[in-house]
Amino acid sequence: MLSAAAAIEEGVRIPSCGRALEGTLTYALGEVRACALMAGPHPFLGGDMQNNIVRAMADALARRGVVALTFNYGGVGDSEGGPEDWPEAMSAFWRDGTLPAEQDWCEDTKSAIAWLRNSCDAPLLLIGYSFGCWTVAHHLQESYAQAIVLISPNPKRHTFDALSDAPVPLLVVHSDNDFTCSVSEATAWVDALREPKTRIQLSAGDHFFRGHEEEVTQAVLGFLDDRDILRDE
Amino acid sequence: MSADRTVVFLTGATGFLGHYVLADLLANPNVCCRVLLRPPIQDSTTRLRKLLGELGLNLSALIADGRVVVVEGALPESLGVDDIRGADLVLHAAGNTVFHTNGSSEPARTNVNGTRELLSLAAEAGVGRFVYVSTAYVCGAMAGHLPEAFYPTVPPVRNDYERSKWEAETLVWDWAKQFGVATICRPSILFGDGESGRASAMQGLYVVARATEILARAMDSSESADRRQIPLRILGRADATCNVIPVNWAAEHIVRLALHSSGASSVHHITNSDPPTHQEVKGWLEEYFDIGGGRFSDASWPLQDANHYEDLFYSLGNVCLDYFRNGLTFDSECTTGLPAGMRLIDGASFARCLKYAQETNWGRASGERTDFRSRRGGFDPAWYFEEFLPDAVPRSAVAKVEDLTAVVQYTIKGAPGGSWVSRFRNGQLEETHAVPCNLQAEFEYLLSYEDLVDVVACCRPLQDVFFHGSAEMTGDVERALKMVPIIGEFIKEFPVVGEKDSALAC
Ligand SMILES: NC(=O)c1ccc[n+]([C@@H]2O[C@H](COP(=O)([O-])OP(=O)(O)OC[C@H]3O[C@@H](n4cnc5c(N)ncnc54)[C@H](OP(=O)(O)O)[C@@H]3O)[C@@H](O)[C@H]2O)c1
Repeated sequence: MLSAAAAIEEGVRIPSCGRALEGTLTYALGEVRACALMAGPHPFLGGDMQNNIVRAMADALARRGVVALTFNYGGVGDSEGGPEDWPEAMSAFWRDGTLPAEQDWCEDTKSAIAWLRNSCDAPLLLIGYSFGCWTVAHHLQESYAQAIVLISPNPKRHTFDALSDAPVPLLVVHSDNDFTCSVSEATAWVDALREPKTRIQLSAGDHFFRGHEEEVTQAVLGFLDDRDILRDE
Repeated sequence: MSADRTVVFLTGATGFLGHYVLADLLANPNVCCRVLLRPPIQDSTTRLRKLLGELGLNLSALIADGRVVVVEGALPESLGVDDIRGADLVLHAAGNTVFHTNGSSEPARTNVNGTRELLSLAAEAGVGRFVYVSTAYVCGAMAGHLPEAFYPTVPPVRNDYERSKWEAETLVWDWAKQFGVATICRPSILFGDGESGRASAMQGLYVVARATEILARAMDSSESADRRQIPLRILGRADATCNVIPVNWAAEHIVRLALHSSGASSVHHITNSDPPTHQEVKGWLEEYFDIGGGRFSDASWPLQDANHYEDLFYSLGNVCLDYFRNGLTFDSECTTGLPAGMRLIDGASFARCLKYAQETNWGRASGERTDFRSRRGGFDPAWYFEEFLPDAVPRSAVAKVEDLTAVVQYTIKGAPGGSWVSRFRNGQLEETHAVPCNLQAEFEYLLSYEDLVDVVACCRPLQDVFFHGSAEMTGDVERALKMVPIIGEFIKEFPVVGEKDSALAC
């Protein structure tokens, strides 16, 4: 195993649909075993690349030889773009719980995947948290990822049909106390998904896993180890 | 007064009006000023230095020369008789301008209790002259041509502010019967400096101008709508007037009245004898922003059937409509000296003020944080929720989030803490109350005082104190989360700056 060397964080700019997104590459010196794209929660629900789960995953993966890319969707932090008429978009989101910009953020995820593929010649992992589950699942097939991890997905709000397009190992991590999706809903949803799949239910934390980031990262690393994706030579 | 020197005890020197008053007092080489500044004194001195600097005065040099002495204190308490003793007159220009009573008991606390305390200290210190800055709108809803006279019975006031100013006038008038001479100055609505267009606060007519700018911007980005035919109802009569006056002109007259007493108590309207009509202001605004189409209407506020443009316009402008509706006129000795044909506010001076306002981002120089600090020294959550939010939210982008309807609770743990509930309806912040109150919140943010300070200063996003800190969201968490970016945008627009070296500096 690699030692728990401090991860290096490097700011990057990712071109996406004519604008530049803010991103951070997190990695440790040494052998590169994989690269991972982390897609974060919904920008209109306070989501950014500093999110506790996004950051914890990137750090944990980097310590295991993974080059992790986190990024801000258009209009978040220093990323260019975002809805032109912010109050109108916010108003629509408040009313309907969805907004057209979500398609742009889905495209941003595609751009970030392409950027990571070009920058790092290693097996790719897709990891989404909350809203990010939907954006990564959307690009699973064309990404040629080795595995996909969905943390706190919300199948009641988003469709995940694209998961069927590429039968790569899938891990779903959810809490037994998630306000967006009950245990029975999450179980029934995962049961209906194609194989190969693994469901891990944590009785720690809620949708946000605040203070329980370690349990989440351990669950994900264990899943990747079991599939020999991160195992030492 | 001593033969060669007049010592003025001045309150409100850091205010929009007060710093012009101070500059005019100091223009007289025989005047020395003792200036009341609220704690922390370093912070208030820094603000005053900046304000005077913009008027070409050097506060440090004035202090070194003994022309200005700063006195730390806040009304109604924390002042002693020795602070006032030796002054020839008190010029009381401090005031609280919130319209409705809040949880800090303002505006009565400062305007009534503060004035009472100052009068009592003046009497004890043997200061026989008291100049009080009131407001022309102490008249409330009175109509017609108003005399320059004390109103012995309470006028038909429309809000707690007007009432507090009348009560203060009464205290001053009664004090004079026993202890000396009172001069009551009643300015109308203050506008920018008639020469430079400068203003350090932008309320009143500025809110209408900013609402017009918002409308013009909306037209800029609309391809289909005709910017010269905006279907906007303007609540008021075309021929009614906006009694606005340049702040420097008001200060000049207050200082003249303060330094040259006739020996008897008197009341003075510092008002515009030839104020612009609403029609004129509309024309100036239309020309400046290159729009047109609004028409005057006798519809009443709030508009039940407001269209998109009216929603945009009145998201900022409702506050001051009362003051732009009636066609009052005031008796005023101040304007008799004006050269024939000269107007206090004309199209050119109005445009200068708008230009200055735009250049300073309506009082918030770009990239700079607005100095909306606590009114009582360190950051005060009660001030933030009860005074600052109701003032700033209507001027922010939040007011345009039309579907935002929610009842939100903020609970601040630790000292100074507390709990407040706000009701938003269609983007408008309708009410905020300290808990306990009758409003039932749908969700609640619980955060520590330290986290609140970081968040409102824009040092740390709200989501960060939640995801990485100890803040909590309870109730309908999904809606609480949805509100987070709205709060974030608001704080970016209206960050609160703190005093140096304090928790608010980051
Ligand atoms: N603005 C108008 O259009 C208008 C029209 C007519 C009459 N007036 C009257 O003119 C006066 C000045 O108004 P303004 O527009 O210049 O107000 P402002 O900009 O809000 O300034 C108020 C001043 O009073 C000070 N102050 C407030 N509460 C105080 C307290 N409890 N103890 C000590 N000082 C206190 C403030 O100190 P900090 O800087 O520390 O807050 C500031 O120096 C007020 O009496 C107001 O009623 C104003």
